[in-house]
Amino acid sequence: MSRLETPALHLTVRPDLSEIGRIAEQVEAFCEERGLGPAVAHAVNLSLDELLTNTISYGYDDASGHVIDIELAADSGRLTIVLRDDARAFDPTGVPEPDVDADLEDRALGGLGVHFVRSLMDEVRYQRTDGHNLLTLTKYIDT
Amino acid sequence: MEITKETIDGVVVVSPVGRVDSNSAREVEEALLPLFDSPAPVVVDFAQLNYISSAGLRVLLLAARRSKATGTPLSLAGMSTAVDEVFKISGFAKLFHIHPDRAAALAAVTAA
Repeated sequence: MSRLETPALHLTVRPDLSEIGRIAEQVEAFCEERGLGPAVAHAVNLSLDELLTNTISYGYDDASGHVIDIELAADSGRLTIVLRDDARAFDPTGVPEPDVDADLEDRALGGLGVHFVRSLMDEVRYQRTDGHNLLTLTKYIDT
Repeated sequence: MEITKETIDGVVVVSPVGRVDSNSAREVEEALLPLFDSPAPVVVDFAQLNYISSAGLRVLLLAARRSKATGTPLSLAGMSTAVDEVFKISGFAKLFHIHPDRAAALAAVTAA
């Protein structure tokens, strides 16, 4: 079942960190096809990487039988990315912002990945429905 | 992942190739952190690196802390647009000595 009306790219990801490189290649190809440019491709890839890394590293009690579903669609000046997983409930929009001005000793690394997502995307929306995390990211694009 | 290591004029130059993400950060950590047990200055040359995530930044933060603790100098060089963006958004750019390329980093380190 599709969550976006016209998903242009549908990716199914196993909860394994080695999947992230493969996803990056497919996202890059998608962005190139659509003429979206390297800055947009990087924003999408870094956001997906950070979110997938969180889910894969901390989201599951067991590693078997799970998949993470990703859909991308680009139209009307918006690139929309929907991630859906059956991992533990996690709302990235509730993660406190890290102090990016802290010095070397006081630097905390928690929250940095989510900070990238917030910085690079224009909208981030979270829902928990039917035992699934549903995260919708939007980036405004020139098309 | 591929990580090349060479010594130039007494400076250890480490060049990770490709991507540093959560899947490969451990390899960079294993290659980089032991270097701070020796006094030879370290330059990490990013010229062949087109991608870094927060997992890679974590390793560089650990390296910077080791550098401060042991006194072995650390510099970074040759950042691509994508890598540079990640350093800026995270505020990490302020925590490192960053040079445009390897030659500039080597000149700065050997002059110090």
